[in-house]
Amino acid sequence: MANPHSTILIKKQYTQKQLLAWDEHPGKSRGTTAGSWISDLVAAKKVVTLCPLCTHKFNPGRLGYRKEKEFPYVQAKCDGCQVFDIRCTAYFNEETYSQVRSTAEDRRAERRKSQLSLKREGHL
Amino acid sequence: MRVGYLLSGGAPVYKKYKSAAGHAAGIVVLRAASGATGVSTSTTTSFANVVGLTQDAGNIDVGAQVTYSTTQGQPEHLSTVCINPDAVLIALMVGSAGDAILTDNPVTIASSDGLTVVMTNSISNLDEGTVWYISGPNAGQSRKITSVSSATATVIMPFPRADAIGNSAFAIAQTPGSLGVTLSTALKNVLENNTALGSDAAASCVDLELNGLSNSYIHLIAVDHVFGVST
Repeated sequence: MANPHSTILIKKQYTQKQLLAWDEHPGKSRGTTAGSWISDLVAAKKVVTLCPLCTHKFNPGRLGYRKEKEFPYVQAKCDGCQVFDIRCTAYFNEETYSQVRSTAEDRRAERRKSQLSLKREGHL
Repeated sequence: MRVGYLLSGGAPVYKKYKSAAGHAAGIVVLRAASGATGVSTSTTTSFANVVGLTQDAGNIDVGAQVTYSTTQGQPEHLSTVCINPDAVLIALMVGSAGDAILTDNPVTIASSDGLTVVMTNSISNLDEGTVWYISGPNAGQSRKITSVSSATATVIMPFPRADAIGNSAFAIAQTPGSLGVTLSTALKNVLENNTALGSDAAASCVDLELNGLSNSYIHLIAVDHVFGVST
């Protein structure tokens, strides 16, 4: 007769997506205020994403941040209220923005530079 | 490496993932290996199980330890990652693992019919890639390479004008639709130095911005993406 206290282990096949979902950072911990959490993110130069209801509370210019204009909306968890919103605004630290984003303005400037160089050499 | 645009034209999706160490901004991160934790760094020749491109760097605590701590109560590290599988990443082409600019490969024998480009250095590994002129009568023009022989690239569609000895030219292994890139050591730029496509990072070339030696870019999309559609 089987031991009534024995445990049967059934191995589950977790998908990569499930494993990644558990790797998502939970955001601010219990007891931390939203402002304090965002201050921590700003101090570490992290991207701050805020929903339409929270975004007015954030002043990017004063903190050395800039608003993402290339993609007016991003889909992310709001760092203020911890709710996933498809219309968040992303704010990047000024120092890191050019490292992670190629804007139309950047590409226009490169093209202009290249065209000027060709013109100077008499090829245009 | 930078996010340029999305193939779908939609909005980027950002997730803040825990990471085992502080990652640099603008690098591709992968799903954690078996037995490991958090998203992990890609390598110069591997984009296996891509999660996305990091959008920030460093750790949650300014001045905190760089590597993951297993001490209870220590802060977790997190990276903001753009996880769209259709994100087109724009990388600068560089000439060395240390991110030096591309090395000029000037024409040594003029071609009057525009069907060959005879350069100085060997391009023997760059068949099916792209060749373009940086100076001379064909400046700004590019063609797909259809065959190579040592330092000579042959094309099917002729360049519009005859070139001349000394004209600056360059050839790379990629062409729109090609698969494979090798990254420089910092994992942000694509290494272009006569390396054949083969055992390299699984990224497909979407487009090329062919300018000068210090400002030419390749547009890439990761083909082994955790959130991509399996076929």
